[in-house]
Amino acid sequence: MKYAFFLGCLIPARELSYETSVRKVLPALGIQLVDMKGTNCCAPFSIQSLNYASWLALAARNLCIAEEMGLDILTLCNDCYESLLMVNTILKQNTKLKNRVNEILSEVGKEFKGKTDVKHLVDVLYEDVGVDKLKNAVKEPLTKMRVATQPGCHLTKPKRLHLGFIKEFGAFDELVRATGAETVDYDRREMCCGGPLRDINDELSRSVARQKLMDIKNADVHSIVTVCPFCFLQFDLGQLEIKRHFKEEYNLPVLHFVELLRMAMGMKLEDWEINSHRIPISGILKGRL
Amino acid sequence: MTEPAVLIIGGGISGIQASLDLASRGIKVYLVEKSPSIGGRMAQLDKTFPTLDCSICILAPKMIECSHHSDIQLLTYSEVKEVSGSAGDFTVKVLRKPRYVDEKKCTGCGICIEHCPVEVPNEFDEKLGMRKAIYMPFPQAVPRVVTVDKDNCLECGLCESVCQAKAVDLGQEPEEVSLKVGAIVVAVGFDLFNPSEIPAYGYGRYKNVITALELERLLCASGPTGGHLVRLSDGRIPKKIAFVQCVGSRDIRFGNTYCSSICCKYSAKDAVLVKEHHPDAHVSIFYIDLRAFGRGFQEFINRAKSEFGIRFIRASPGEIIEEHATKNLSIWYEDTVAGSIEKLVFDLVVLCPALVPRTDAKELAKVLGIEVDKYGFFRASDNITSPVDTTVPGIFACGYCLGPKTGDIPDSIMQGSATAARVAEVLMEG
Amino acid sequence: MRTVANTPRGRGILSCIQCGRCSGSCPIARLVTEHNPRRLMEMVILGLRSEVLPQGLPWYCLSCFTCLDRCPQGGDVGEVMFAIRNLAVKEGNIPAGVVAQARSLMETGRVVNPVRSILDKRESLGLAEIAPTGVEDVQKILKITALDKLIRSR
Repeated sequence: MKYAFFLGCLIPARELSYETSVRKVLPALGIQLVDMKGTNCCAPFSIQSLNYASWLALAARNLCIAEEMGLDILTLCNDCYESLLMVNTILKQNTKLKNRVNEILSEVGKEFKGKTDVKHLVDVLYEDVGVDKLKNAVKEPLTKMRVATQPGCHLTKPKRLHLGFIKEFGAFDELVRATGAETVDYDRREMCCGGPLRDINDELSRSVARQKLMDIKNADVHSIVTVCPFCFLQFDLGQLEIKRHFKEEYNLPVLHFVELLRMAMGMKLEDWEINSHRIPISGILKGRL
Repeated sequence: MTEPAVLIIGGGISGIQASLDLASRGIKVYLVEKSPSIGGRMAQLDKTFPTLDCSICILAPKMIECSHHSDIQLLTYSEVKEVSGSAGDFTVKVLRKPRYVDEKKCTGCGICIEHCPVEVPNEFDEKLGMRKAIYMPFPQAVPRVVTVDKDNCLECGLCESVCQAKAVDLGQEPEEVSLKVGAIVVAVGFDLFNPSEIPAYGYGRYKNVITALELERLLCASGPTGGHLVRLSDGRIPKKIAFVQCVGSRDIRFGNTYCSSICCKYSAKDAVLVKEHHPDAHVSIFYIDLRAFGRGFQEFINRAKSEFGIRFIRASPGEIIEEHATKNLSIWYEDTVAGSIEKLVFDLVVLCPALVPRTDAKELAKVLGIEVDKYGFFRASDNITSPVDTTVPGIFACGYCLGPKTGDIPDSIMQGSATAARVAEVLMEG
Repeated sequence: MRTVANTPRGRGILSCIQCGRCSGSCPIARLVTEHNPRRLMEMVILGLRSEVLPQGLPWYCLSCFTCLDRCPQGGDVGEVMFAIRNLAVKEGNIPAGVVAQARSLMETGRVVNPVRSILDKRESLGLAEIAPTGVEDVQKILKITALDKLIRSR
């Protein structure tokens, strides 16, 4: 399976270990990643709030690039996923809007044809690879590890708007359990991390992350596991920010899901990757609890 | 040649009423009921609204009349499997499931029940209490015979050995009965929407979040707690109880865009019953609109407020979170009248779920050849001019299986009588 | 209300029955009394344009879509919030943080840009250079949609 790899802005800029882990893990699971060239920002919350036409055109430009490659898009970020998926769905369903967007895109030599699909890392691992194949790829099951999963809002909720109400998004937890780890339920699991308001209203962004950390702390877990770089940032760097502003410490290590997977597949994390985590993760690596 | 008999599917209050009306005219009635006893939902209720009459006390005499009437034949623990023919001349194949007890011999003494070693959750009590593998679903069951749940039976034979009437027959086989009738009435009632489809409300995860039907069983003297209203997590008396309306009703996410009609009414009733059980309790009802139409209901709600101090809060709760240590529940909501976001802690939360078609309704519709509407309720041939006729001539329907109308017990009784009149028309044509 | 309802993301406003489930679910509403999705919907329904569009009210929202997820009537509250923000932006109401991200988009095609140390790190790890973005295309697009003028003027 081959995918057009949409990295987005945040990961290559600040979360290299997410990128390096994906580039190691996915090929080992039979997923080939083809880098996209010349993509622009997906148009997340802040840009979407500016105006509708810009959002559609900016996101569609990326979809066109994937169409030109003849591949579906794989993204690692919930915001990118939400933006690209929603625009893809809207333009596929609404010919009038598609035509208007194509008028704009023609000025930059692009045309949206509706030939690509947008998938998140979780979609690809769940549907293309599958839980069973994942289990087979696990060489060192993470038994006894208790984790709190953060699916993140933009992975699940707007999807329901366009693809129908899905009761509870269990795919992510199933994938985590395939590594041998135990997924622990906690209050308000589907609540936002506060990411979208980062740099817009930091006080609120922090307070929301803090509520999540409090809920997760009550669940007594070894680590938080995320599938979105914003959730990761809010919880990892966020704990330092919360320590500064609220004088509270949570000591909750945060892992990208691919890092968890990597550990379970027996691909050790490099030192620089371990050190890139603001909240130390060495404790959960050593001797595996 | 019109067959001078009618098949009534469903032994709830609506089907019972139709049966009695027709039998009193000398028309032969076959009353088929899937569960071991007739009675339906009304038998599960504690008290009715707005008069607060004991539900089973009103129902039982009608049930007994059904069992004694010479023109009514009860086929309980039975299912309709095949229907052919047309109005005036239907042939129906009914499967009589084996209860492993000879109905003619069983006296309903209950000694077998005492000796049975197996305990399983009791469906009649919404699985809050237990029954034995050989059981009577509730004390006033009609027919007054026991049934063996073979799936859970150990086949130890104890029941057989203690039965004075030699009624137990563990080798009993299913029996197919062929009936010839001139008309059919469907009165199979409703199921409750499963609130665990709304994860934010915690049903299924939190022990002290229950449905209104579960509450009825807790309030009922014949229920799993002997009528003592206590919390399921620790058996303590709840001091702060919340009712949440519109759980799944008026909700496009689940396709139940309709209003279930009776929840505003019954929750006020249940709130009053709760206060009667525990006068010091604080009871709140979270609603979107208060739909207490018809005679006596607005008055009842006014009484609930003024006399019983029940608090009506105009808010549809956002989420319900459990306090792990106490198993109490925090409800987050906005008091839309005051415009403020609040959190209140309760010991017990009662959800009022949507009333939906039974899970087996579609299958039954196929067997009968009748249409269902977009919600899965049986479709009337015309909602205005022939509301109890189904889309097949000669087949009629009554009660909640037709969907929410007024939805209360008098409504179901009225519809039962209406179908009886329609049936009589068909039978008189021959 | 009609203005909002006639935008592609604002149609849901017509379905609102003011039940309060959205505000009862909103994580921001619990932190900040000014933010109340139900009340915001109410204000739009009542046509209180000047109390909504020039104010900070539309910008507390997280776009977490919890409100949208829980609304029983298809009010699509989270989407309506975007429609309200689009209208607020037209009147020049844009928080500084959003302007900054928009400016970055216009200058580099990205809202988050890697700093020198990251670029060096990538090189040392042998990671591919971050592909250049189609920033000229982005600028052209924003010119057509009339956003660039708005952002440059802030």
